[in-house]
Amino acid sequence: MSLIKVKIDGTEVEVPPGTTILKAAEQAGVEIPTFCYHDALTRPANCRMCLVNTNKAPKLLPACYSTVMDGMEVTTTDPKTEKTRKSTLEFILLHHPVDCPICDQAGECTLQNHYFDHSASKSRSFTRKNHKPKAVEIGPRVTFDAERCIVCTRCVRFCDEVSKSGELQVVQRGERSEISTFPGRSLDNAYSLNTVDLCPVGALTSTDFRFKMRVWFLNSANSVCSGCARGCNIIVDHGENRVQRYRPRYNADVNQFWMCDAGRETYQEFQQQRLDSGRVSGFEVPTKDALSAAAAAIDAFVKERSVDALAFVLSPLSTNEDTWGVLALAEALGVTRFYVGGRAAGQADELLVLADKNPNRKGLETLLAARGLTAEPLSALTTGIASGAVGGVVWVGHEHPRNAPLEAALQKLALRVVLTSNASVWSTGASVIVATRTFEESDGTWTNAAGKTQRLFRALEPLREIPPTWDAAARIGRALSAALPLWLSARSVFDELVRAAPTLATTWDGPSGRKQGRPDVPNPGFRAQAFPRRG
Amino acid sequence: MGYKVNRPEFTLAENAYFVEMAKGIGVATKHLVENLASRKHTVTREYPEQQPEYAARYRGQHRLMLRDDGRARCVACMLCSTACPAKCITIQAGDYGDDQVEKYPIKFEIDLLVCVYCGMCEEACPCDAIRMDSGVHAAPELHRAASRVGKVDLLRLGELSIAQQGGTFR
Ligand code: SF4
Ligand code: SF4
Ligand code: SF4
Ligand code: SF4
Ligand code: FES
Repeated sequence: MSLIKVKIDGTEVEVPPGTTILKAAEQAGVEIPTFCYHDALTRPANCRMCLVNTNKAPKLLPACYSTVMDGMEVTTTDPKTEKTRKSTLEFILLHHPVDCPICDQAGECTLQNHYFDHSASKSRSFTRKNHKPKAVEIGPRVTFDAERCIVCTRCVRFCDEVSKSGELQVVQRGERSEISTFPGRSLDNAYSLNTVDLCPVGALTSTDFRFKMRVWFLNSANSVCSGCARGCNIIVDHGENRVQRYRPRYNADVNQFWMCDAGRETYQEFQQQRLDSGRVSGFEVPTKDALSAAAAAIDAFVKERSVDALAFVLSPLSTNEDTWGVLALAEALGVTRFYVGGRAAGQADELLVLADKNPNRKGLETLLAARGLTAEPLSALTTGIASGAVGGVVWVGHEHPRNAPLEAALQKLALRVVLTSNASVWSTGASVIVATRTFEESDGTWTNAAGKTQRLFRALEPLREIPPTWDAAARIGRALSAALPLWLSARSVFDELVRAAPTLATTWDGPSGRKQGRPDVPNPGFRAQAFPRRG
Repeated sequence: MGYKVNRPEFTLAENAYFVEMAKGIGVATKHLVENLASRKHTVTREYPEQQPEYAARYRGQHRLMLRDDGRARCVACMLCSTACPAKCITIQAGDYGDDQVEKYPIKFEIDLLVCVYCGMCEEACPCDAIRMDSGVHAAPELHRAASRVGKVDLLRLGELSIAQQGGTFR
């Protein structure tokens, strides 16, 4: 297939036949404004924002739809195109409420951006604006504002083509056009919040994020969703040192543009019952005291019983680095009993969601294998305790489903050291709790079900001097005079574990080699304490 | 380079000190007697009984303007707190649950000790909701916390705005 030559704003590019003007322009480094076009959806070419002038047609052509022709010369900045853009925007804004002050999209609104880039002229309209329903609960997680809708039909196409649930349609004609669900239906598919990301304006907004925070106050870090073993790439938007929302991040191999609604809600789990300090016999203590208490308790237990009676409970939600640190501690102590907990399996679907709700089971298994260890499921711990084989546990994580017999059995244990970010039934009554960081506060990697290791960049400042789990484990180990390596950052743990398990290798600094979160240091100490931001 | 400063030579009487001192005391006594007899020439103000007159554009303590129904005009868009160079405005947005106003400030707090009275908040507000034309200057307080004025106090100074919310054609 021979390439054809086109000239975009004077830049010549060679593209295969069938390429759209928009894609050719992208290649030439020319940006053409769009509303309705989306890489993953069909192209209705209905917004007319992308009209450009060419030498092959008397009228302007929609760049998102028209394909290039040999010898085509496209101009995107000539007066005719610019005037058309201005008119298109004037037309779109004719009945637009422009209630940006109360619109959650303000700050990340394509209409705002295009208006300032391509129009910025005063309204000439002297007619009354149309009124349409506002703040409509179009689905359980989505709020709809019909006035702001520019009828680009991205949401309709998403429901037809991607989620294949087809709840949405355009009703009425012309300026009365409105997006609506089919009678008796609601926008409640498992991927409905993607329509919020797709909507170029504030017509569809997330009910959970509604009015929580202006988007320009948010900071972002690239991360991975903890919701299931798919490992959808996400952006953690955080403000005031709290996660405010998750957004999907494009990754062609994993999740394309999407993530599921359930995944977006998982941030709440890490905010509930967050531990901000360690506990010894129920009393709040600083981290260093919790660590030395943990070491002393383990030491006493091993001396009194034996190391054979000590079991480690691992979590498939821990990062590879955390698991590696805990395994290093276990191995230094000579522990051989391991149990793996984690969230209970759920339902899978055709698009993204997998039945395994744990983001790093694959990584955990790989690391166990790399150290030549085996683990049993957590349910086996009940019998282990009942038979008297297990007398004490070092427990990682909080995300294990309720299990009454096990909860009862735990009360019999002589030693329960828990390393966890959030309190749960599994930490109540523990002799020592060491508060550790959540994945949003840590640097690290997770390995998804397909065996792809992906980097999590640190989004939040850890509370007080709370350490990552690998650091907590290493410090307990050193307090027990075990020969543990002196890791300085998650990066050094990662480098070590990759040497043992080369399949887990990945680029540490992200594809662009740029840091995409906060700096990777284990103990920022007092300096980096999170002060509440005023205003 | 430099200026040549002409310093007058002291006369003998001036150098004698006592003559000049007596003159000075004379001037002071004259003013004292004058001011005791009449207030015409005094420049100090009998504050706080006598309040100063502020210019119309004087930027005093902030106030929040009201809607016809007495609710705050503010829609918690945070533009003022974004514009504020001192970062002294704390707003927490809430949802009325209606489809007219939708958004309002649950909490609106200005730390008057941090505020630099620049007026950026006023200028940023798209809703004529915050103004500094109250004519009240921030009062000194005994405790820092008292200078963090909240929504209720800001609304107490507020009144109706002639600006029509949402423009003329609604
Ligand atoms: S959709 Fe955009 S332009 Fe319209 S009100 Fe919202 S922020 Fe403003
Ligand atoms: S609701 Fe948003 S995505 Fe859907 S048609 Fe309207 S503007 Fe487009
Ligand atoms: S006057 Fe200036 S410093 Fe004071 S609240 Fe307004 S913007 Fe902030
Ligand atoms: S006072 Fe004005 S600028 Fe500040 S939040 Fe309220 S409406 Fe927005
Ligand atoms: S982007 Fe081309 S017509 Fe909408």
